[in-house]
Amino acid sequence: MSLQTTIESSNTNSTYQPSLPWGRWSIRFVALSYLLVMLIIPLLVILQDGFSKGLAEFWRQISLPMAWHALQLTLWTSAVMTIINTIMGTLTAFVLVRYDFPGKRLLNGIIDLPLAIPTLVTGVMLVILFGPQQALGAWLKDQFNFSVIFAPPGIILALLFLTFPFVVRSVQPVLMELDRVQEHAAATLGAGAWTIFRRIVLPPLSLPVITGALLSFARAIGEFGSIVIVAGNIPFVSQTAAVYVFGEVESENRLGASAVSIVMVAIAFGLLMFADYLRQRSKGRTA
Amino acid sequence: MFFKHPKTLVLSLLLLALLTTGCAKSGNATQAPTGNAVKLTLAAYTTPREAYGEIIPLFQKYWKDKTGQTVTFEESYQGSGAQSRAVAEGFEADIVALSLEADITRIETAGLITHDWRSEPFGGMVSTSAVAFAVRQGNPKNIHDWADLAQPGLQILTPNPKTSGGAMWNILGLYGAAKRGHVTGYSADDKGAQDFLLAVLKNVTVMDKGARESITNFEKGVGDVAITYENEVLVGKQAGQNYELVLPTSTIRIDNPVAVVDTYVDKHGTRAAAEGFVDFLFTKQAQEVFAKYGLRSPGPEVAKATAASYPPIQDLFTIDDFGGWKQATPTFFGDDGIFYKVFGQVQGIQIGG
Amino acid sequence: MSVSSSSRTAQLQIQSSLLAWLDRNKSKLGKWTLIGLVVAYVAFLIVTPISALVVGAFQKGIGASIASLNDPDVFVAFWNTLWISLVVVIIHTVFGTVVAWIFVRHRFPGRNLINGLIDMPFAVSPVVAGYMLLLLFGRNGMLAPVIDALGIRVAFAMPGMVLATLFVTLPFMIRELIPVMEAFNTQQEKAAATLGANGWQTFWRVTFPALRWGMIYGITLTFARALGEFGAVLVIGGGVQGHTETATLFIYRALDERQYIGAYSAALALGLFSLILVLGSDWLRQREH
Repeated sequence: MSLQTTIESSNTNSTYQPSLPWGRWSIRFVALSYLLVMLIIPLLVILQDGFSKGLAEFWRQISLPMAWHALQLTLWTSAVMTIINTIMGTLTAFVLVRYDFPGKRLLNGIIDLPLAIPTLVTGVMLVILFGPQQALGAWLKDQFNFSVIFAPPGIILALLFLTFPFVVRSVQPVLMELDRVQEHAAATLGAGAWTIFRRIVLPPLSLPVITGALLSFARAIGEFGSIVIVAGNIPFVSQTAAVYVFGEVESENRLGASAVSIVMVAIAFGLLMFADYLRQRSKGRTA
Repeated sequence: MFFKHPKTLVLSLLLLALLTTGCAKSGNATQAPTGNAVKLTLAAYTTPREAYGEIIPLFQKYWKDKTGQTVTFEESYQGSGAQSRAVAEGFEADIVALSLEADITRIETAGLITHDWRSEPFGGMVSTSAVAFAVRQGNPKNIHDWADLAQPGLQILTPNPKTSGGAMWNILGLYGAAKRGHVTGYSADDKGAQDFLLAVLKNVTVMDKGARESITNFEKGVGDVAITYENEVLVGKQAGQNYELVLPTSTIRIDNPVAVVDTYVDKHGTRAAAEGFVDFLFTKQAQEVFAKYGLRSPGPEVAKATAASYPPIQDLFTIDDFGGWKQATPTFFGDDGIFYKVFGQVQGIQIGG
Repeated sequence: MSVSSSSRTAQLQIQSSLLAWLDRNKSKLGKWTLIGLVVAYVAFLIVTPISALVVGAFQKGIGASIASLNDPDVFVAFWNTLWISLVVVIIHTVFGTVVAWIFVRHRFPGRNLINGLIDMPFAVSPVVAGYMLLLLFGRNGMLAPVIDALGIRVAFAMPGMVLATLFVTLPFMIRELIPVMEAFNTQQEKAAATLGANGWQTFWRVTFPALRWGMIYGITLTFARALGEFGAVLVIGGGVQGHTETATLFIYRALDERQYIGAYSAALALGLFSLILVLGSDWLRQREH
């Protein structure tokens, strides 16, 4: 067979299958066992435990007032945080890509800082800085009866810190690749900066923005290390689902812990699948 | 084939080396004592950390003199409930020193403690303390007794009963004092006690995971008063913190048990040393160390000697007044126990029936 | 003209020239407002807490900070963290590459589902991850008979902590490698095959060099995440001080023991290490492009 025909025949098949010494199947076996052990079995175990006493008990556990409130709190604080993070993250990416200013490179480096700090430390830092005993915290409490730390705003603050890089880094590369021809055309036609941004710049960014938002949300739902320090953990008030699960594990309520964990995992899974679907769709469009 | 790919070989060897060193590090838990060296693992709750820091070297010397054996210790300190769960789930501690009897019972139920640990001196209780308050220097909010905790606008710290034994003592102390008629303004019965509990819970600002986290949070300037062990306050003051201790007129006696974990000492072959350590804890020497670090001694001799630092409490009741932990835990801290029912009322939520 | 009307004229003149200036510089003003907004946000949210960390660590001087880290327990804790992270990185690099390879080059049923599952550890709470492992390897766990028979301890020991860290860091390498592999032109692989290279040689000499950057970034993210792991390790347990404690568990304990300088210094050290990794690989990648 000539070189040409070999390549041509390979091209008819969309996936290329190299021959490996131990065979295709052993490689698949290795990959599968790895995923099975590391991923699938742990998830299955929680599923099995949560439903081990049937659907009725599962439902009872998650509809216990404390559990229910914890889940609600987790969802709404993560949602609020995601909205703020999306707006500020997109803005930050925009400023980093489109403008030049002194300290720009420093700013770009700072973006990644939250990834480097252990979550536990984040919590401690926020309490020390913004806690009710400090100037800012005390002032807010006295003037507006508004508590940041040991209250839901503290949860949102911690989550904002942690997820900051996600939207920025999701939007930045796409923004950099954008062709500015249309923007210039619109400008010559008399469109204002805001109109240009809204109708020309934003649409192609919508996918990375949403992906970044979904990632932030998914990451936020399960956050523990910083929340357990910063939130106050008062049941019905400032106790998130992750902290609730921890409490249930510690007090031997295994079923409760598993049941709420399943809900958290299901939500996260749904979000990630959706984000993936969006990614696939965009690939289909540009392919 | 592998030798054609030296990088693979090196990588595999590296991985192998790392894995074996790691396993070696963790595998040492099941070593049997070799001749004159033995290793004991102590699983304790957070409060007596400093006390054991001093007792352990004393014991090491005592044991060496007595038997010629060298004892090394691995210590773990965390919340009593968490520690108890860890041991029941497989943390191979030789000795457990916990905050309340229920946590030892959990290990007993798991089949790991099979001897009658309550037959030790003082019912197996190696130290006692009492539920008390930590207030800011100068006591600006004028907290002198339980009733003062119900004043509106006060910010109280107490840990979460789900994860903290200390929290459970706090709630029971509060409840008992009210029910026994020592809280002015509330009737001396269950209703009065629950009303008082509601009033206090309304003021709780932060519920930390454990007693130690609670007091260190207080030290950071959070809250006006922390309900805690007398012991925690004293240790904190020794560490240089400038808050004050307030002992209520009526409070619960916190009894801290210690026990040898039969299954693990037999597995490790450390029974003799472990039992020696527990016996040592009841000696005057060790009891004096406990007293030095803020813990009351159940032994009358040391108690009398340290009465100056540990004034007697007017109305001191115990867990037995609640029918023991077996009754108290589900009644108060079960899913629709009194605590959660009242807590729900704070937020206007109905719990249970 | 009266005084009031002349001052009124002056006022109008100032107003109109201000408006004109604003109009001319609208875009510049807009630009600097946005920049200012972003800088203020980042300063408040990110810089201030981290500065507080630095200040807290050095509150009694750099000497005291370093002295607080000069402790055998600290060395053990950091060594454990480093060791666990290295093992995790190696395992994920090897197996992650295999998984990414399978994903990109092969079709199989359930591909989409598994693709979604791979991201799970990222979103699953570390507490839940630790709890999962406890259900498997605890005393009454599903795999308890197996590990008892093997005589090894998983829960409340190093292996459990490694497994917990493995779980939470699973997605990073795979997610970095898949797009790189997809973008990779298989022509070279095919050419190598026709030239007589077997699968292994093709992978090692043709594919692997092209994956370099994806791999480096994957390693960085995995490492940084592993260094900071806390929740899962707390639940699966085993952090016995001076022996199997990790850096994060040490920080947690130090805070409990009121060793604030030690806690903040350790946190700073840990953060610096992760930061160097992240920024370093960022910089390397920028240099490449």
